[in-house]
Amino acid sequence: MLAINNIDVAYGNVQVLFGLSLHVKRGELLCLLGRNGAGKTTTLKSIMGLVPVRNGSISLDDSALNTLAPHKIPGTGIAYVPQGRRLFSELSVKQNMDIGLMASGAGTETFESVLDMFPRLRERLRQRAETLSGGEQQMLAMARALCMKPQLILLDEPTEGLQPSMISLIRDVVEQLKAQNVAVILVEQNVETVLNMADRVAFIEHGRNPETVSGQELQANPELVRRYLGVE
Amino acid sequence: MEFGPYLFIASLEGAITAAVLALTAVGLSIVFGIMRVVNVAHGEFFMLGAVIAWWITSLVGGHPAYGFVAALIIAPILVGILAIVCDHLVLRRINYDPERTIVATIGLLYVIQQTTLMTFGPEARPVEAPFNKRIALPWFEHTEQGFALTWPWGLSTTTYKLAVIGAAVFILILLWVLMTRTKFGLIMRATQLDSEMAQAHGIPVNRVYAMVFGLGAGLAALGAVLIVPIQQAHYLMGGDPLLLSFIVVIIGGLGSVVGTIVAALFIGMSDGIISVFFSPTLAKIIATLAVAFVLVFRPQGLFGKPER
Repeated sequence: MLAINNIDVAYGNVQVLFGLSLHVKRGELLCLLGRNGAGKTTTLKSIMGLVPVRNGSISLDDSALNTLAPHKIPGTGIAYVPQGRRLFSELSVKQNMDIGLMASGAGTETFESVLDMFPRLRERLRQRAETLSGGEQQMLAMARALCMKPQLILLDEPTEGLQPSMISLIRDVVEQLKAQNVAVILVEQNVETVLNMADRVAFIEHGRNPETVSGQELQANPELVRRYLGVE
Repeated sequence: MEFGPYLFIASLEGAITAAVLALTAVGLSIVFGIMRVVNVAHGEFFMLGAVIAWWITSLVGGHPAYGFVAALIIAPILVGILAIVCDHLVLRRINYDPERTIVATIGLLYVIQQTTLMTFGPEARPVEAPFNKRIALPWFEHTEQGFALTWPWGLSTTTYKLAVIGAAVFILILLWVLMTRTKFGLIMRATQLDSEMAQAHGIPVNRVYAMVFGLGAGLAALGAVLIVPIQQAHYLMGGDPLLLSFIVVIIGGLGSVVGTIVAALFIGMSDGIISVFFSPTLAKIIATLAVAFVLVFRPQGLFGKPER
């Protein structure tokens, strides 16, 4: 479905990704694991066209993505939930979701089905996004992305700083997405979350992908986590 | 004339300045708020609005209202289109970089001003108001029998001046509706809040920037068309609106439309009143001092949010 082939990405003169290659299939959850600054967020941003790809290619179902203008990429069926949520803070919950709906051209049916996944947002539709709790803000960030009816969703540390009940809710939503054949690329620091959910795990180190393993292989070989994350 | 009626008439002059200033400064404010571009050429878009209004009214025959209505529609559209072209040819090419856009818009200022001088000439040209009936205004005086309605000699204004205030209020209400009740308004606000995320949600940010730059310039032109029957069109008339707009936008809070309108009311009224009682130069000195105070004690402006 999505294929990243040998991409080089740089911010000005500072190169962050060096010939990185990855792929993800429909209905699959690929997790990116790596230390801070390894290039995980940059990988997601380069898929969204938010940082230019200098060399290599990114394609979705054999159509090149990296030649499209960034605002056209959501129209191909890719949604992005960034690290730190980055909601449109002064807009209401409904207006944030409306922005997502505009991108997909979806209507009330999608809006209602997304609200069914996050019932708490239904009570807060007129509330400004910046006044929501951290967990509710994360729900809204995901709801906004789901309003885009994605085939592929990019989640950048969605459980960061959340309480266990909220993490469990997000995990349920990700499982539902997989069941609907939506592909997921998840950047996550919480190894336990990764072990429970990921079909495959791609390690990112210094802007490269030295190794990709299945979820079971990772469980069977904790040495990998120690090697690439430096944690027990 | 006694002090009370004199102050009333000065306030009315101030309200006209405030109304036109609010339109002009809101244009500058939305351009800065959404695009982060300090548009130094904004005053020239104002001047072009007035010059195009003169040109259209001199072309259209018949009752002055025909030409004026045509100018009110055509001048802001033409100026808006010119601004979109400037955005495309200049601002987009320098990637809306805040520092470089200041220099680029200074360049635009001179290009527009000198082109106008070469084509329109150095003369100030009048535009006839579509209607201009002088009306006497009432005043309340306290007499031994209580408050009484009087008609002091000299306390009067024109219907056109009152119409300018009404038109500016109407246009600002329309702008508020556009910003808060329409899909384009939602897109503009999302772009203002986080342009990168707006792009990640399918919003063509560069196209929004072009539209906003055109809208900002169009609002300045609209203000100019309204004021030109009172002030005359001249190729150097963009300086004062630019200075006052910057003052208003800084006092109100960069990018805050509500703050801009409130500050326009304050600066416009004080400019009008001080100009009538003392001198226009003193009015500008006081407005500039007000900016200095705001910058020292509340750098984000009265309605702006502090930088995080």
